[in-house]
Amino acid sequence: MFYRRQAFMTVVAAATLAAGAAFAQPDGKALFGQNCSACHQANGKGIHGAFPALAGDLFVAGPPETVASVVLNGRGGMPTFGKDLSNEDIAAILTYVRGSWGNHAGPLSPKMIESARNPGNRQDDALKMQAH
Amino acid sequence: MTSSLDSLSRRAFIERLGGVGGTGLVMAGMSALGFGIESRAATPPSLSGGGGKKIVVLGSGVAGLTSAYELSKAGYDVTLLEARDRIGGRSYTARKGTKLTELGGEAQTCAFDEGHYINPGPWRIPYHHRGYLHYAKTFEVPMELFNNDNDHSYVYFAKGSGPLAGKAIRKQEIAADTRGYATEMLAKQVNQGALDQDFSKGDKELFLSYLRSEGYLTGKDFKYIGSEGRGWAVDRGAGLNPGVPSTPYALSDILQSDTWATLKSVSDFDQQRTMFQPVGGMDQLPAGFVRHLKPTIIHKSHVVEKISQDADKVQVHYVDGKGHRGVVTADYCICTIPLSVLRGIDIQVSDPFKKAVSGVSYAPVGKIGIQMKRRFWEEDHAIYGGHVYFDNPDIGSIALPSTGWLGNKGVLLGYYQFGANAAKISAKRLAERQAFAVAEGQKVFPQYAENAESAFSIAWHRVQYNLGGWAEWNTDNRRDSYPILNEPDGRIYLAGEHLSYLTGWQEGGIESAWQQIGKLHKRVHA
Ligand SMILES: Cc1cc2nc3c(=O)[nH]c(=O)nc-3n(C[C@H](O)[C@H](O)[C@H](O)COP(=O)(O)OP(=O)(O)OC[C@H]3O[C@@H](n4cnc5c(N)ncnc54)[C@H](O)[C@@H]3O)c2cc1C
Ligand code: HEC
Repeated sequence: MFYRRQAFMTVVAAATLAAGAAFAQPDGKALFGQNCSACHQANGKGIHGAFPALAGDLFVAGPPETVASVVLNGRGGMPTFGKDLSNEDIAAILTYVRGSWGNHAGPLSPKMIESARNPGNRQDDALKMQAH
Repeated sequence: MTSSLDSLSRRAFIERLGGVGGTGLVMAGMSALGFGIESRAATPPSLSGGGGKKIVVLGSGVAGLTSAYELSKAGYDVTLLEARDRIGGRSYTARKGTKLTELGGEAQTCAFDEGHYINPGPWRIPYHHRGYLHYAKTFEVPMELFNNDNDHSYVYFAKGSGPLAGKAIRKQEIAADTRGYATEMLAKQVNQGALDQDFSKGDKELFLSYLRSEGYLTGKDFKYIGSEGRGWAVDRGAGLNPGVPSTPYALSDILQSDTWATLKSVSDFDQQRTMFQPVGGMDQLPAGFVRHLKPTIIHKSHVVEKISQDADKVQVHYVDGKGHRGVVTADYCICTIPLSVLRGIDIQVSDPFKKAVSGVSYAPVGKIGIQMKRRFWEEDHAIYGGHVYFDNPDIGSIALPSTGWLGNKGVLLGYYQFGANAAKISAKRLAERQAFAVAEGQKVFPQYAENAESAFSIAWHRVQYNLGGWAEWNTDNRRDSYPILNEPDGRIYLAGEHLSYLTGWQEGGIESAWQQIGKLHKRVHA
C-alpha cells in the first residue's frame, strides 16, 4: 500500500512546490538546516566516520552537475532528494553550501539543477522506498 | 483440464516475467504456477562436521546470531564480535532505561513505565517469513498477532480538497463507498450491454453477481446505498433500538479527498493483515539465540576496526570497551556489518568488492514511540491496533499497539517516515520531534496532546553502527555490485539483510546467513 501511496503523494508535493516557488526566493540556509543538517551538521563539519564535512570540501566546489547529481540521486549514505526538493530549493541550498564555512565556489542556478536531473531508472528506483 | 496450449502460455508468461524482473521473478512465477520450485529456503541448511575450524562472526543482529548458532551447532569454533554493549543490532526494543545518543544528537533515556515499550526498528513479521518463525519456535519465543490493517481506524488526508479533506475518516467508510460506487457504475454498464463483447453469456451474469456482492449493490438497477460494514450512524442495541444506518459520502467528495489512495484490492505480499510480533518486544528473538549459544562465544563492546587476510587465515582487529586493541585470527570470517558502516572500515578485499560495498544507498528512517496516559484510541474510538494513514509524509502513519489490549496506558508509534522526510524530522531536537508528532496526532485524536507523557525517537541514519534503516538497491547496483558481494572475497563472507531480495526484513538477514554459511561449509568439505 505504501509504495503506490508514496508515489501518489510525491506528485502532489511536487505540484505544490512548483506553485510555491514562483512567489518566494527560497532561503538556502534555512533549507540546509531543515534537510541536510541532521547529517552534515549546521556548521557543515559533518561527523567523522559517518557524514563527510561539506566545509572546506573540494567536491562541493567542483563542477555543478556532479555536486547537483549527488543531491538529486543520492550516493552511499546520502539520501536521494530529487523527488522532494525543487530545482529552486536545491540551487539555493548548494549556493549556500558553496559560499559558507570558508567555501568560495560560485552560485548554482535552478537551470543547472534541471540539466543534472537524470531521467533514467534511478528515479523509478527512488519510488520503491517503502515501509517494512 | 491441462492442454499443451495451457502449458505453452504458462511458459510464455514465465518468460515474460524473466524479461521484466530477472530470475527471482521467474522462480516466484514458477512456484506460483505449480512448477513446484521453491525460491526460498524454509529451514536452515543442515551442517555437520565443522571439525573445530575457527570462524569469526562480526555483528550480533539476526544474521550474525543465525550464523553463530548454526555454525557452532555444526561443530565450528565460533567467536562473535559485536560493537555495541547489547545483542540484536536492529532487532531492538526501547523500554524504561534504554539509552540512545544519535550521532550529532542529544542523549536520550527512555522513560516509559515498566512493562511498556516501543520497537524502534523491526516490529512485524509476515506469516511467510518462515526462517524467523522457525527460530521463534525453536527457542520458544512467545509470539502474538500484530494487527496490520484495521477497518475501523482513520485516514487523515489534508492535501486533497472538498469536505473530507483534513478530517479523520474511518477507513471502512472510504472502502465501502469507493468500491460501492465503482461497482455500481461498472454493473450498470455491463447490465446495459456496454461490455458484451468481453463476456460469454453465462460469465456476464456471474460478473454482475460478483459486482453486486463486492459493492453491496441493491435492486435491479444495482444501486449503492451504503452498507452495514461502513458503520452505523447510531449503533444497534437492546430493546427498542434497531440502530440508524449511516449515509454514504458523495463520490465526488471521496475522489477529491484523495483518501481512496489507501485502498488496494489486496495488500502487498509482505504487508498483509496477519502478522506476528514477539510478546514483550523485538529483542526477544536475539535473547532466544543468546540462551542457546555458549556464553564464551559472544564478545560485546568489541568494535571491529580492520579486517585483513592472507592465504591461510583472516585477522580481525578490534578495540574493546576499555580501549584495548586486539586481533582475532580465524580460518574464515562471516561479516554482517551493514554496508553503510563497512564502507568506513579498513578491509582487505579486491577493488571491485570494495567498490561494490561503497555504492549501496541506505534508507533514512525515523520513528517515535509516545507513551499515553490512557488508551483513548481504544476507549473512545474503538480502534484496537492497526494504523492511521496520513498524506503528510513527515508523519506517514500512526500505529496503535497490538499488545496490552484494554490496559491502562499504552505506547503508540507517533510517526514513521522515510528518505528526505526522515532526514528533515531528524534535524529537529528531541523535544521538537515530540511536539511535532503530538501536534499532528492531535488532528486525528482530540485526546492526543493531553495524554502524551513521554517519547523515545530514533533516526536510523544517525545511529552509530547502522547508519541507515536498510539497504536500498537500484537496478544498476543489483546487477553490478550485488552478485559480487554474495560471493566470498578470499576468506571473508558477507551476510545480512542487504544480501537478499528481502531487504528491510529480518528474514532477509536470516536467509542470507543460511546461504552464506552453507557455501562456507561446502568449501570446508570440498
Ligand atoms: C525502522 C525499521 C523498521 C523495520 N521493520 C521491520 C519489520 O517490521 N520486520 C522485519 O522483519 N524487519 C524490519 N526491519 C529490518 C530489520 O531490522 C533488518 O532487516 C534486520 O534486523 C537486519 O539484521 P542484520 O543482522 O542484517 O543487521 P543488524 O541487525 O544491523 O546487525 C548488524 C550488527 O553489526 C554490528 N556492527 C556494526 N559495526 C560494527 C563494528 N565495527 N564492529 C562490530 N560490530 C559491528 C551492529 O552493532 C549490529 O549489531 C526494519 C528496520 C528498520 C530500521
Ligand atoms: C542521512 C544523512 C545525510 C543527509 C540528510 C544529507 N547527506 Fe549529504 N552525504 C551523506 C553521506 C553519508 C555522504 C557521503 C556519501 C559517499 O561518500 O558516498 C554525503 C555526501 C554529500 C556530498 C558529497 C560530498 C563529497 O565530498 O563527496 C554532498 C555535496 C552532500 N552530501 C550534500 C548534501 C546536501 C546539500 C544535503 C541536504 C539537501 C545532504 N547532503 C543531506 C549523508 C547525508
